[in-house]
Amino acid sequence: MDHAVIQLIVSGALMGLVYALVAYGFQLTYATSKSINFGQGELVMLSAFVSLTLTNTGLPYYLMIPGGLLFGVIAGLFVERAGVRLALEQKSEGWILMTIILGLFGISAAENIWGRDDRPFPTPIPTEPIQFFGVSITPLEISVAVGVVLIMVVIELFKRKTLLGKAFEAVSADRDAAELMGISATRTIMLSYGLSGLVAALAGILVSPITTVGPTMASALVLKAFSVAVVAGLESGFGVVIVGLFLGSLESLTSFYVGSGWREAPGLVLLILALAIRPTGIFGKAVIRKV
Amino acid sequence: MLVVTDLYAGYGMSEVLMGTSLTVKKGTVVALIGPNGAGKTTTMRTISGSIKPTRGEIILDGAPVQGLEPSYIARLGLAHAPEGRKVFGPLSVEDNLLLGAFTRLPRFFGFHAKAADDLEKVYNLFPRLKERYRQASGTLSGGEQQMLAIGRALMARPKVVLLDEPSMGLAPVIVDEVFDIIRRLKESGITLLLVEQSAKRALEVADYAYVMERGRIAVEGVPQELQKNERVIAAYLGN
Ligand SMILES: Nc1ncnc2c1ncn2[C@@H]1O[C@H](COP(=O)(O)OP(=O)(O)OP(=O)(O)O)[C@@H](O)[C@H]1O
Ligand SMILES: [Mg+2]
Repeated sequence: MDHAVIQLIVSGALMGLVYALVAYGFQLTYATSKSINFGQGELVMLSAFVSLTLTNTGLPYYLMIPGGLLFGVIAGLFVERAGVRLALEQKSEGWILMTIILGLFGISAAENIWGRDDRPFPTPIPTEPIQFFGVSITPLEISVAVGVVLIMVVIELFKRKTLLGKAFEAVSADRDAAELMGISATRTIMLSYGLSGLVAALAGILVSPITTVGPTMASALVLKAFSVAVVAGLESGFGVVIVGLFLGSLESLTSFYVGSGWREAPGLVLLILALAIRPTGIFGKAVIRKV
Repeated sequence: MLVVTDLYAGYGMSEVLMGTSLTVKKGTVVALIGPNGAGKTTTMRTISGSIKPTRGEIILDGAPVQGLEPSYIARLGLAHAPEGRKVFGPLSVEDNLLLGAFTRLPRFFGFHAKAADDLEKVYNLFPRLKERYRQASGTLSGGEQQMLAIGRALMARPKVVLLDEPSMGLAPVIVDEVFDIIRRLKESGITLLLVEQSAKRALEVADYAYVMERGRIAVEGVPQELQKNERVIAAYLGN
């Protein structure tokens, strides 16, 4: 392979890590509640806007990270409370529509508060490429990769090493039995939505300096994250990273060799293939179990 | 310790329990026997809160608990080892045991040290669990899973234990082993409500017993009496 191809794969793979991160957010809530937030992309976008706004307040620049993450957690908890809990209590699939609607509200809110235009997200991290064996990567891109891997490692360690994390796994494995141990499934589901919001906010903060910030910045992103989640399955955090890297590289190769208009094609083809091969894929299981 | 009075409960439209009453005194083993579908499991699930009763009262250690969330009832000192074991398959044996003590342990760090004594007690009771402490519990044999389910319930240091059909699907030797354990727990002063298909074995270990038929208690008494009761002999102890 020549350097141009490797270059394309590397920069595509970095974007793929962001898809993996958003897909990981789907996995977190699916594990505990068999539900996902279809407005996850809007959560990414709103968190990015909140962080951007924080950078303009005169506060120290990096305060936008905890600020944006805190917003993500609160927004995630809000989605659970307002859009998901009632539906789950009544064993209905109403959360699907509710989370879509909350997402649409999110877009309107963003347009009203911040306007429709895309805005740049200033960053002090250099965008001058560094050469690694002939492949150029910018420190900004490295920061994205580090951020994604770091948060996933921290959450996985939380799940394996802390008692609360083990309780999280117990609720995923058998909700009723977990309740018998004194573990509140409701609180565990809240926790998972909080974590999922945190992950979405981090995705927004990480990509914004590379893309831009705008009301629809995450609609394509979330669709691809969805493809990744369906293909990788909703259990394995490792799986989403692999599929994310693969899809990211494939996209960048496609847009270079086929044409930049085809950039979104691989993700959609992947999703269609996955749904054709495993039609019960993502939340199909929940529906089938109900019947 | 556990007093159930005139309990009504069911699934949606279908009533299963129709006026069940029973009492488990502190430090006693009480057997609940009866034919398939009588409502024994439903009784246990209603006591531990998975099913909300439509009428009746459940008093645990002096406090009414009917209608509370199962996780809350567990915190009040009730441990329920459910029918079919229900171990957390992907989690290790030791993690299952630690989660049994969830309500008593710190949430983040130091929980292992704090549970060390209880872990040791359970491992003494079930050496086979100790040998396999890191194994995913879903890969244990049926007997081992039953032992894990009992051990997990004990980890909570519960005031009352509900044990639903521990012998289900196990080979006779393993059933003997399980009943040996129940006897040892009885000697150590456990307060236990035991549901069991094998009425003979249940009556051997129990201090008191209830026979349930179609959602009601049909006969009750000390095992010596029930073992002489012709109706019970005909239905459950016949050979
Ligand atoms: N989830 C459920 N939904 C509807 N009906 C149920 C459900 N579980 C049990 N039942 C019904 O409730 C009745 C009592 O069942 P239960 O499981 O309490 O009986 P049991 O005495 O434990 O029987 P077994 O000895 O077979 O375990 C049965 O008629 C059963 O069909
Ligand atoms: Mg039963």
